[in-house]
Amino acid sequence: MPTIADKLAGLWPEIVMLLGAVACLAAGLSASARTRRLTPWIAGGTMALAWIFALWTGIDADHPLGLGGVVTYVKCLVLVLGLVLLLVCAGVPEGLKQTAAAEGARFDPGLSVRGEFYFFFLLSITGVMLTAGATDLVWLFLALELTSLPTYVMIAMTRDRTVAHESAVKYFFLGALSAAMFLYGFALIYGATGFTEFGPIRDAVAVSSETGLSDPSPLMLMGIVLSVLGLCFKVAAVPMHVYTADVYQGAATPVTAFLAVVPKVAGFAALIMVLHLLGLDRLPEPVLYLLGAIGVLTMTVGNVLAFVQTNLKRVMAYSSVANSGYMMLGLMAGLGVPGNALGNGPAAVLFFLLAYGFGSIGAFAVIAALAAQRSPDGADHTDATGVADDLEYDDLAGLWWRSPVLGGVMLVSMLTLVGMPPLSGFMGKFFLIGGVLNAGFYGLVIVLVINSAISAGYYLRIAMLTFFGESSSAPAVILPEGRRGPRVVGAVIAGIAGLLIGGLPGNSVVRNAREAFEPVPAPASAEPETVQAAADESTASAPAVARSQAAGLADAVPTP
Amino acid sequence: MLLALSSPMLSHYLLTGAVLFVLGLVGFISRRNMIQMFLCTEMMFQGVVVTLVAFSAFHGNVTGQTFVIFVLTIAAAEAALALGLVVLLFRHRRTLDASAWSALNG
Repeated sequence: MPTIADKLAGLWPEIVMLLGAVACLAAGLSASARTRRLTPWIAGGTMALAWIFALWTGIDADHPLGLGGVVTYVKCLVLVLGLVLLLVCAGVPEGLKQTAAAEGARFDPGLSVRGEFYFFFLLSITGVMLTAGATDLVWLFLALELTSLPTYVMIAMTRDRTVAHESAVKYFFLGALSAAMFLYGFALIYGATGFTEFGPIRDAVAVSSETGLSDPSPLMLMGIVLSVLGLCFKVAAVPMHVYTADVYQGAATPVTAFLAVVPKVAGFAALIMVLHLLGLDRLPEPVLYLLGAIGVLTMTVGNVLAFVQTNLKRVMAYSSVANSGYMMLGLMAGLGVPGNALGNGPAAVLFFLLAYGFGSIGAFAVIAALAAQRSPDGADHTDATGVADDLEYDDLAGLWWRSPVLGGVMLVSMLTLVGMPPLSGFMGKFFLIGGVLNAGFYGLVIVLVINSAISAGYYLRIAMLTFFGESSSAPAVILPEGRRGPRVVGAVIAGIAGLLIGGLPGNSVVRNAREAFEPVPAPASAEPETVQAAADESTASAPAVARSQAAGLADAVPTP
Repeated sequence: MLLALSSPMLSHYLLTGAVLFVLGLVGFISRRNMIQMFLCTEMMFQGVVVTLVAFSAFHGNVTGQTFVIFVLTIAAAEAALALGLVVLLFRHRRTLDASAWSALNG
């Protein structure tokens, strides 16, 4: 039985993140302007430090579900994506009118939001890390709420427009509904087994299926189903996807990038944990039907609705819905044969999250670096920084010829999301389809492939427009250096990462994702070298990407 | 029959919890006033709380009751956030009707 001290020892990365978050809050309220400008640097440094700690802490061999590898993988994954997201988000609070008012002639800490923004940014990412590391239903619930609550504030805070507040409220209400739903699921799981710790729950489920009473009890099934439905909100999957387009459109674009990636990682980490209570390898039939139905509906609804949208942020919102659908199918594929990457569905999901993350961040970062010149319906579409960010297809016309960098990143992101070889999205879909095929769900594979074809319709339309498009009205302009912050750097890093992990560096990521599901050979006390070796291998995750990001961050955090 | 009703059993508490949860869900979907919608989500949380305490008594351990303390804490945090957001919206348009907020649609 691990003591509190043992548990805390595994939480060093989260402790670092919390301390860093508080430091950001304090620095953002500092009386000296120089200290205030340091805030994003502190946030970046904190995440880099937490990443080192996550690797240093290594894999927990005593994880009750044997998913210690997944915990480390997800922590590293969300920190990598968080570092790129920080580049995309870094200019946001600085550009607000409110900040200008607060930091005018005299500094007014009551109005300042600079510290809060980075504080909530780090807290939300800490929530994802805690979600991955959860070993108890109470802990899982608290961690999921820690992921969500800061995002509501981030949406409302970063724009003065009414639509931002409207989308924050929409997001909040559906979030509260989904929280109540998975909480009810957790309560039923507790009722069915009498435990909230993962280990005993899993043992209780195993006992009930061995004695052949029912496999597993209806109460347990009901709990799992409600938890999955509630978690669908976090990953924007079908019964709970209705908020996606509105919220993504209403939020400031950099924050939208955050929403498209971070809660999704938390949701899938939680889904893997909750489903593994029953055993990902032997999910009972009702749960398989549920996941399959959610997956098929989600990808179809997402792709069809994305196809008919004209606003780029809404297109990307429904693309995010559709990608959740693909990943849902990966969850039902089972763990496959140990040692064989093709066939392990959840490992494919873990890899797909990285590929999708970089593709999405790249696209949103390009949109965030542009400003529309026209307003289609005469309404005010500018955000708090005075930038019109409701881009339509026409705004991208000929982007490549005006800015090869942004056009190139857009092209790479779109091709990644389509799943074009040799980009990372192709690898992701390849492993997902391999897993689903291995599990024998041939019908689902056909649906997935048809959906990929539909998605190519809108992704390739964007890619073509950046090259050959001609706009009837004035296309979007690229924001000047001072206004766009380090977004372009973030976009470039996301683009390069999307390219790289489709190649050789991707192999090590895939290997890490697969090994995350294999039991760690020996407990730390018996053979320290083995655990060290396992930890080292997880360190190898996305090596080139990692280094380029660390370097990118150093160059790119805004200079005063 | 009378005996079953006079001594409360696990199923009675679970039923109470479930009814609270479903009432909250129905209210959330049918109501248009933002404060009422928020109260409905609170009611769903209370339904869960009743369920948790009932299971806790049934299993004879306090884990469920410990869970309840955390749920109440989160519910309080959500209440603070919800009221903040609702006040923010109210300032814009002087109404609490959720259907007045439909700038984003499509």
